[in-house]
Amino acid sequence: MRVLVVEDDRDLNRQLVTALTDAGYAVDAAFDGEEGYFLGETEPYDVVILDTGLPKMDGISVLEQWRRAERNMPVIILTARDRWSDKVTGMDAGADDYVAKPFHMEELLARIRAQVRRASGHAKSDIECGPLRLDTKTARVTLSGQPIKLTSHEYRLLAYLMHHNERVVSRTELVEHLYEQDFDRDSNTIEVFIGRLRKKIPPDMIKTIRGLGYRLSEESDEN
Amino acid sequence: MKTNSLAFRLFATAAAWVLLVLPIAGAIIYSLYRQEVEVSFDRRLSVLLTVVLSDTIDHGENEPGAPKDVGEPLFEITHSGWYWQIKPLDGKAGETIRSRSLADLTIPLPSEHNIEPNEREMRLASLDGPLEQKLRVAETIYVFGDGKKAQRYSVAVAGTLGEVETSLQHFRARLAMALALAGIGLLAVTLFQIRFGLFPLQKMEQGLSAIRSGEASRLDVRLPQEIEPLQHELNALLKSNQDIVERARTHVGNLAHALKTPLAVMTNEAREDITPLARKVAEQTEIMTTQVNLYLDRARMAARIGVIGRVTEVRPVSESIIRALERIHRDKQLSFSMDCPPGARFQGERQDLEEMLGNLLDNASKWARSKVALAAAPLPPSAGNGSISWLEIRVDDDGPGLTAEQIADPVRRGRRLDETKPGSGLGHSIVADLAHSYSGKFELAPSEFGGLSARLTLPLAT
Repeated sequence: MRVLVVEDDRDLNRQLVTALTDAGYAVDAAFDGEEGYFLGETEPYDVVILDTGLPKMDGISVLEQWRRAERNMPVIILTARDRWSDKVTGMDAGADDYVAKPFHMEELLARIRAQVRRASGHAKSDIECGPLRLDTKTARVTLSGQPIKLTSHEYRLLAYLMHHNERVVSRTELVEHLYEQDFDRDSNTIEVFIGRLRKKIPPDMIKTIRGLGYRLSEESDEN
Repeated sequence: MKTNSLAFRLFATAAAWVLLVLPIAGAIIYSLYRQEVEVSFDRRLSVLLTVVLSDTIDHGENEPGAPKDVGEPLFEITHSGWYWQIKPLDGKAGETIRSRSLADLTIPLPSEHNIEPNEREMRLASLDGPLEQKLRVAETIYVFGDGKKAQRYSVAVAGTLGEVETSLQHFRARLAMALALAGIGLLAVTLFQIRFGLFPLQKMEQGLSAIRSGEASRLDVRLPQEIEPLQHELNALLKSNQDIVERARTHVGNLAHALKTPLAVMTNEAREDITPLARKVAEQTEIMTTQVNLYLDRARMAARIGVIGRVTEVRPVSESIIRALERIHRDKQLSFSMDCPPGARFQGERQDLEEMLGNLLDNASKWARSKVALAAAPLPPSAGNGSISWLEIRVDDDGPGLTAEQIADPVRRGRRLDETKPGSGLGHSIVADLAHSYSGKFELAPSEFGGLSARLTLPLAT
């Protein structure tokens, strides 16, 4: 899952990037409205954390321009202005949620998980696919109740496939959603991680659809 | 008309002036008229005296003779009040000649009362005559005969003052009535003048009252040019007042932004660490956050005190908050209902109503299983206190509700009624503070839907 953090305070931005990276997200950071707007318009993010008081272009304008350009990724507004008039303005501009400063990182992470789940059509915090079960709260995956040990990249890949299970996901989509902007994007890496995952879960669950990509499916013994 | 009013002062001054001037004017007019009547009476007596004297002399220079034709019929009617008399003086013998009207009576003479003659040798005096008649007597002394035979005679003509007095009495009554009517007329005109003159002030009062009740933001009535400068000054004052409040709000918002980002950084940094210092910092930043929120709320409220009242429609505010909450809580697929008649208008700031409804609806949304209901309605006049009308807003949910003890004390600042849902725990106390700042009420009760019912009583804009 790829997250964009747009926050002008360098310390807070760093804290957010660290916490989100630790939680298993691929994170890009922007420090002003124009940079944030550009990234949000050109890169496919699963969630955006957007401060409202930004230099060069304020957060509400950034959000409105994204929505006008039909960029519909979930956006969580982060602001010190916590009056309801500000919240209503933010929600009316197209925000999906609202977190007032100062905040607890756990609360923000919970809100991000909720937005990611919601965007992929899952109502609960646990996502199941056959014997596989992903607990988004703790970022742990179990197979028939037994925990599976995953590296952070393996976790990102499996979590993305589980959020979009029963759907064909292209390699490009995986690269775009699993790596930060500056990452050296070599699609072979994806194949390497898919291979590793197939060793840790029933191998037939991840199917290669030739020329299109991969599909995670609970039917492991499909012909 | 109240005694301590401009209208009363103007009216009382005018009335006092009228009550003082009219009687004085009446007295002067009456006195001039009386003088004129008396002079003309004296002139008539003088003419009659001249006629009587010349008629007497016609009989010879040695002794007086009875005048034959004085030309006044009243001298012929007995006791008519009009008499003439020719009487020898100095105690000399001789016949006293009298008019027929005098019969055998005698008229009193001014010369006997030491009245000095005027430049025409005539004495005039008002004396008590026979038959209790008040007489005006004109007398002259004429000497008949020459040398030793010379004899002084008093020739007098008298007219009764009764008819003069009657005429004066009539005049006095008519004069008094005319002056009284003039006085009443003057007072009525004064009253009209005051009402008409002070009408612009009444319009101004209505304009100010409209500002106070929030129906207008400036004084826009048409006023006469004398008080136009006052209107300009008042509007400038209102504008400056609004600007000050806006600036205060902006500064408060900026302060919030300036403080909260460093607080967020400190909180997160401290929570990442497990040293005692980090724990202390985390604890203190929590306290600072609570304090910042508390004083920002107070600053916002203080900025609002003394602000000219505004009117806020409840419906659009509720709609926008519900729209935002439907988005925030869309996973729960809550059903929001709103019963808000068009007349439900809050006498106060939009931002304050947003804050109160936002906190209550957000709280209800967090706890509701499936349903959140907002209902606003004006209360019947007897339910409020004083002359203010009240508006009741209820927010109900079908969540788990609260215990009787929690319901009894919902607003202790910073205490969260439940720790399992995110929030600062300040929501209810902000709502209560805001409601109290409008002299309103905030109460919790069990809801008919099974959850909590939050009830706000706020001033209704009429």
